[in-house]
Amino acid sequence: MTTTDLAGASVRSTPPPDAGPATGRSAAGLLRPYLPGFATVVVFQVIGAIAGLAPLLAVVELGRVLLSSGPVDHGHVWFVVVAGAVGLFVRLLFTAASSGIGHVLDSRVQLTFRRQLAARLGRVPIGWFSRRRTGELAKVVGEDVGAVHPFIAHAPAELVSAFVVPLVSLVYLFTVDWRLTLITLVPVVLAVALVPLMTTPTRRREQEEFDGAMGRISSSVVEFVQGIAVVKAFGGSGRAHRRFLTAADDFVGVFFRWVRGVSGIAAGMQLALSPPFVLLVVLIGGAALITDGGLAPADLLPFLLLGLGLTAPVAALGHGFDDLQAARRAVGRIRDVLQVPPLPEPAHPVAPRGHRVELRDVRFGYSDDHEVLRGIDLVLDPGTVTAIVGPSGSGKSTLVRLLPRFFDPTRGSVALGGVDLRELDSRELYRTVSFVFQDVRLLRASVADNIALAVPDADLDDVVRAARLADIHDRILALPRGYETVLGDEAGLSGGEAQRISLARALLADAPVLVLDEATAFADPRTEQAVRRALATQAGERTILVIAHRLETVADADTVVVLENGRIAERGKPAELLAQDGKFAAFWRSRRSAIADGTGTRGVPRGDELR
Amino acid sequence: MIRMLLRVLGREYTRPMRRTVALMAVTAIAEGLSYALLVPVLRALFGSNPGDARPWLAAFGAAVAVYAVLRYRSDLSGFRVGATLLRGLYHRFGNHLARLPIGRYSAGRVGEVSVMAGRGLLQAMGVAAHLLAPFISACVTPLTIVVVMLAFDWRMGLAASVAVPVVAAIQHRTGRSMAAVDAERAERDHEATARVVEYLQAQPVLRAGGRTAERFRLLDDSLLAVERASHRTILSALPGAVALTLAVQAMFTVLLVLGAHLALGGNIGAAEVLTFLVLAARCADPLLSLSDLGGRLRSARSVLARLDTVLGTEPLPEAREPIRPEGHDVEFDSVSFRHGDRTVVDDVSLSVPEGQRLAVVGPSGAGKSTLLQLLARFYDVDAGAVRVGGVDVRDIDGEVLMAQIAIVFQEVYLFDGTIEENVRLGRPDAADAEVRAAAAAAQLDEVVERLPGGWSTKVGEGGALLSGGERQRVSIARALLKNAPIVLLDEVTSALDPVNETAVHEGIERLMRGRTVVMVAHRLRTVQRADRVAFLDGGRIVEQGSHDELLRRGGRYADFWDISMAG
Repeated sequence: MTTTDLAGASVRSTPPPDAGPATGRSAAGLLRPYLPGFATVVVFQVIGAIAGLAPLLAVVELGRVLLSSGPVDHGHVWFVVVAGAVGLFVRLLFTAASSGIGHVLDSRVQLTFRRQLAARLGRVPIGWFSRRRTGELAKVVGEDVGAVHPFIAHAPAELVSAFVVPLVSLVYLFTVDWRLTLITLVPVVLAVALVPLMTTPTRRREQEEFDGAMGRISSSVVEFVQGIAVVKAFGGSGRAHRRFLTAADDFVGVFFRWVRGVSGIAAGMQLALSPPFVLLVVLIGGAALITDGGLAPADLLPFLLLGLGLTAPVAALGHGFDDLQAARRAVGRIRDVLQVPPLPEPAHPVAPRGHRVELRDVRFGYSDDHEVLRGIDLVLDPGTVTAIVGPSGSGKSTLVRLLPRFFDPTRGSVALGGVDLRELDSRELYRTVSFVFQDVRLLRASVADNIALAVPDADLDDVVRAARLADIHDRILALPRGYETVLGDEAGLSGGEAQRISLARALLADAPVLVLDEATAFADPRTEQAVRRALATQAGERTILVIAHRLETVADADTVVVLENGRIAERGKPAELLAQDGKFAAFWRSRRSAIADGTGTRGVPRGDELR
Repeated sequence: MIRMLLRVLGREYTRPMRRTVALMAVTAIAEGLSYALLVPVLRALFGSNPGDARPWLAAFGAAVAVYAVLRYRSDLSGFRVGATLLRGLYHRFGNHLARLPIGRYSAGRVGEVSVMAGRGLLQAMGVAAHLLAPFISACVTPLTIVVVMLAFDWRMGLAASVAVPVVAAIQHRTGRSMAAVDAERAERDHEATARVVEYLQAQPVLRAGGRTAERFRLLDDSLLAVERASHRTILSALPGAVALTLAVQAMFTVLLVLGAHLALGGNIGAAEVLTFLVLAARCADPLLSLSDLGGRLRSARSVLARLDTVLGTEPLPEAREPIRPEGHDVEFDSVSFRHGDRTVVDDVSLSVPEGQRLAVVGPSGAGKSTLLQLLARFYDVDAGAVRVGGVDVRDIDGEVLMAQIAIVFQEVYLFDGTIEENVRLGRPDAADAEVRAAAAAAQLDEVVERLPGGWSTKVGEGGALLSGGERQRVSIARALLKNAPIVLLDEVTSALDPVNETAVHEGIERLMRGRTVVMVAHRLRTVQRADRVAFLDGGRIVEQGSHDELLRRGGRYADFWDISMAG
């Protein structure tokens, strides 16, 4: 499609050398082990292509013999015929082998790329994911790696037939007759002369418009499809729908303009390179040369047979090596991911002493210009429950996500057992800190595997115990194959059930530090109850940090932290804070009145009284 | 292939498409026929009087000119049909999607459909613009050349024509055997993509278990399966490609041998033999390109097949003579609904008089949200009827029905625009003051104040830049602005923290005032304000009545209440 890429169509599929060892192996580095294989593919392709010229040369030789005056040497004729046939056979053998090896190599390289990408994605900071769409990353691992295919599997053949064969032919033709060779090149020159017309500023602008319109249409498609429920619900289906159709019409309009500008020139090029036109030029030139006796009639033959091949480079460029360009862009995206610095692992990990968590002057922002946390000092002692409350946007979620090291603070430090998280072995960290957040992820694997995810060697008894504690055991037994049921394939769970599985997972992990977002609990009352019970039994030596949503949790906490605008506004025991009559007290009263509304008829919620 | 393309496109494109294909075929035939003139030209040039070639050369020039005109026109026509086709496809696709039951848009489907609509449609267009002409020319030109050979010398012609059925058979067989392998490969790719997504989304959990890429077997297995499937594809594609090359080369060899034999025996002129061999070389190139073109056509075909499936999905039927509902009461009359083979809603009868509030309560998975979706006609019922103002929703015009209903979903989707645009979606022609008032009522104004760009802050795709509570407020403001007589609330406050919940509640309270409300909820505060409560479990209504009645009854609802209240 990108016919205008003609001028810039060089085959820069190999990315520039790596920026440094810190950025990990680049795509080129990954390809290195496959170079011998790749070389074989290219060499075989060259041998095959050159052998493919043999039958054409055989025809030429046949012509010379038949057209010469005097007796025909039968032996020579048959030798030429056999040589041609052998050439064909060699060509078949080598191109087939080359193509086979190329494809096998291609799937190997793809596997390597995918494994490397997966490994890298398994080591980048988790926070890095939050700013990227899963779909985009999945596209890099899937589609973009797949786009490497033409480069490895097809490029050698395309390049050889586009450059090696024409070059060999050109040299040969020059030795036959230089004048006719130049004439044969006329169509090529004509076609090349049209190239600048395609790269005029107008054409370039049209091309850019076209690319832009292409991007717009894709995103409006995505939006249309994803937002369709909302669109329909608000009776705007007609409108949003029209918006989509307008985008489509715009795109088609731009496309038409682009085609109108380019198609004349493109068609002209196609025509100049078409076999009938090339043959016509060769024949006119040949006829002229033969009539003034400057050319032996038999010498016309090689031009008729090989002359067409000379147009191949331009024709190939005319296609703009579309696939190769796409492959280059894809490799760029793959490289970008491979170069994301992984969460640095300490060279000499330090073992934590105890499970006290200390945050010292922690500052953090997702972007440089906006700080979400502005100097947090907080100590979480083993055996205590710390509840965080605060308005939305105050940084609660960000704060708790620093503990499992989804992000590293931009300033200050988070320490576990006296050791900065950055100096801990990540395994050690994840063994120590376990978390239940709102976004529950169940794997398409058995229920037992899902619960035992963090403790792969747990035995079934432990799994069942955790499931009971999370109040999901009965539901699991009701599944078609109990704990062996594969989720997603054989059975689906409701949101609340999934959250209880996730709770069981955290309970089984039995980590000394538990980070919890209580919103998790709100799928249904049963889950809510399970979480609360688990929290109660989990106490003891455990360090618990919870984004509290319920007054009961707040009331039962050892320490309440009121977060506001990235800073700690108040902290202390709930009763003390209430006595201070500050922000927390106001929050408490607003919540209490809300609850009181709901408790007129039956019972008083426990925990409503402060300890 | 073309038949499928035409089906996907719809009937009105049949004629231009046919015309283009015909033009391309005529062009290819013209090319083949023009080569016939090579015989007299070369006969003269290779003979004793090369000057005789001149008139024939002029004739060949004229033939090339004809070909040039045809070729130019067919190239342009290919482009044009491609673009027209694309426009048609987008419209057809868009119209169809808008009419499909919304319930079908599960997360996975959304991804699939957007990929299809984005890249898939372009690829389908590429068939017309780029693949069709080379493919037709690669088939038709060699055939014409064979006919030309037959006309000049039956022996050489016959030898060449033997290749025709062989090549055709090979193409046919390859196409068939590849279809199965391609399907398997697509399946593996799909599987691997799902695993990659899972791997990415489950990173926190996986890392907690020390499951990095090497140790997460599920992912590695699926990546390996892709490699294996691709090996199988190669193994089954290679024989076809080799056989095609072999057949074409065998034809050339036979012509070479036969030509040498005939020429040596003096049965045919040297010029004829040589011309035929030049022509045979002309046949070979396009034929060899067939295997490559075939592969590309196959992949385009699979895209078309998927488009065809989506377009073949039945949309919700539109009422022939829509009835306008008079009132705003809501009624479920013995409604049953199945999803796959699971009965989600089982014989539910409920009614909500105009201006009253119904709360639907029950364990997760009980079918609560489905009731709301049936009311908004995201799906159609399998049995019974859902009525609004006494009229079956299936008899109400889609736009009219939606104008009656405002929905606040649990999951809020915002468009990638400003906050204001997203609120305005509720009623695009609302005055600025109305938009501000709705925002204030939903306590969205305080969110707006905090944001760097105020009202013109972009919210990101899906509203990613706002927190859950903030998104919820946008969606309430939207619903308030819409000012529809019926309000549906789907667990609106279930995932909010206390501060957001209080804010959202006040917005909701305003939203519900004076309207018919059906809400799915388990927060007591909301439930208690309802006129009636229905307790749903396993798709059936277990209990219904007022909050107090149900508590006194001491049944399921009372238990539920107790659990919620227990510390």
